[in-house]
Amino acid sequence: MTTWRQRPVFLLAVIAAACVAPPTEPLVAPAAIEVEDRELPEIAAESTERRVQEVTVRVRSLGCEQFGLGSGFVLPGGIVVTNRHVVGQPREVTLNTWDGRSLSAEVAGVATDSDLALLQLADAGEVPVAELRPDPVRRGEAVFAVGYPGGGPARVSPGRVLGTVDGTVLGEPAEVIRVEVDIAQGNSGGPLVDREGLVVGVVFAIEVDAGIGLAVPVATLLERLEDGGALVAPGPC
Amino acid sequence: MHQEPRAVTPRSTPTSVAGPPEPSAGPPALSAGPPAPPASAASSRSPRGRRGRGWSVALALLTVLATGGAVTAGLIALDQRDVAAEWQARAVALTDQLDEVDAQRQQALERLDETLAALTSSERDVDELEERVRALADEKARAEDTATTVQVERDVFIELSALVADATSSLDSCVTQLFELQTASVDAFNRAAADRPVDVETLNARASEVTRFCNQARTAAADAEAAADRLLRP
Repeated sequence: MTTWRQRPVFLLAVIAAACVAPPTEPLVAPAAIEVEDRELPEIAAESTERRVQEVTVRVRSLGCEQFGLGSGFVLPGGIVVTNRHVVGQPREVTLNTWDGRSLSAEVAGVATDSDLALLQLADAGEVPVAELRPDPVRRGEAVFAVGYPGGGPARVSPGRVLGTVDGTVLGEPAEVIRVEVDIAQGNSGGPLVDREGLVVGVVFAIEVDAGIGLAVPVATLLERLEDGGALVAPGPC
Repeated sequence: MHQEPRAVTPRSTPTSVAGPPEPSAGPPALSAGPPAPPASAASSRSPRGRRGRGWSVALALLTVLATGGAVTAGLIALDQRDVAAEWQARAVALTDQLDEVDAQRQQALERLDETLAALTSSERDVDELEERVRALADEKARAEDTATTVQVERDVFIELSALVADATSSLDSCVTQLFELQTASVDAFNRAAADRPVDVETLNARASEVTRFCNQARTAAADAEAAADRLLRP
């Protein structure tokens, strides 16, 4: 409601508005930059596949009467996890990294109740280390087996967890992981990792008939790492 | 720079104006006495005269107001035309800036695409090089396997060679002693044929010694053979 005192001002405002000419050039809104449409390549240095290969080593064990090849993975402190059957009664253990380095190691201990062995690197140097996931695996979970099948180049094989099975018949103290994955001799001792590259198990056997891989769960490994009571020095030749 | 339209207030207008001199009712009256006071003269005007004077005042007031309003509106119009021109110039400048920014954006997008292409190419190269590194690492590891195997084989052959050498040496000594025993035996037969004395006990003792020595040589040979079976088996 305008009062009689405001009417002249209102009238003048209407006059003033009518006098202003609009700009002849309309403003154009800038087009949105469609950065999200660009498909960025996977950065190799940051890829999970690259990372899990870096922490996985090829194990060559010269035993008393045998020459063993397998896989393993590095933990902090220069500790390398592998299978007992890979380094049984060793005279000399050498590790090969994915990029061609050769590292000397000694057997720190072999488990008496599980197919696990721990090696100690003579010089850990700049070897990347793996990270363990203590949480148990889930049925159907996507995993990757990393290793050197046949003693060949490093390979990352995708698979999925089928479940767990009683490991006592296999000489294991607890349940072991059954995983549908393409592995072969040489994968023994290699890590079984999840999508994020965290280690969830240690590959140690294959069900020959079904081609199903078997892995020691990380919980069993952590028990051996924590108490060390079930680890003994390797026997002499 | 944003410029607000200037507010314009109407100019103050006079609230009252002096009216024209009032017309006299007639020629001044001649009188001997003093003139009559004005109040008594106004009160003596007619209503029609007062009404006409009011209309005149109102007309003059309206004229002044209309003139003032027209002048004010004209000034406002001129001022707003300038303002509009400024807005238009500003809009043109903004459009130019927008065009420039858009061109820069296009250049940035082109550089981004070039960088993306370079990154993709680099990552492809990295993948290929890493694959090559893996292949070379595999060759190196296999070469080390071979070297280790050769080292083991060398150790085996050294051990086997030592055993064979020991057995051979023993057998050679055995043959030598057998020849010596043969010579001694022939000499003993000749002496017996010539009815000369023969030391049979010495000959028998020597024969026993040679037999024992040759048995040791055969044992050494058997050990070497067993070692060969053990070390060279597949």
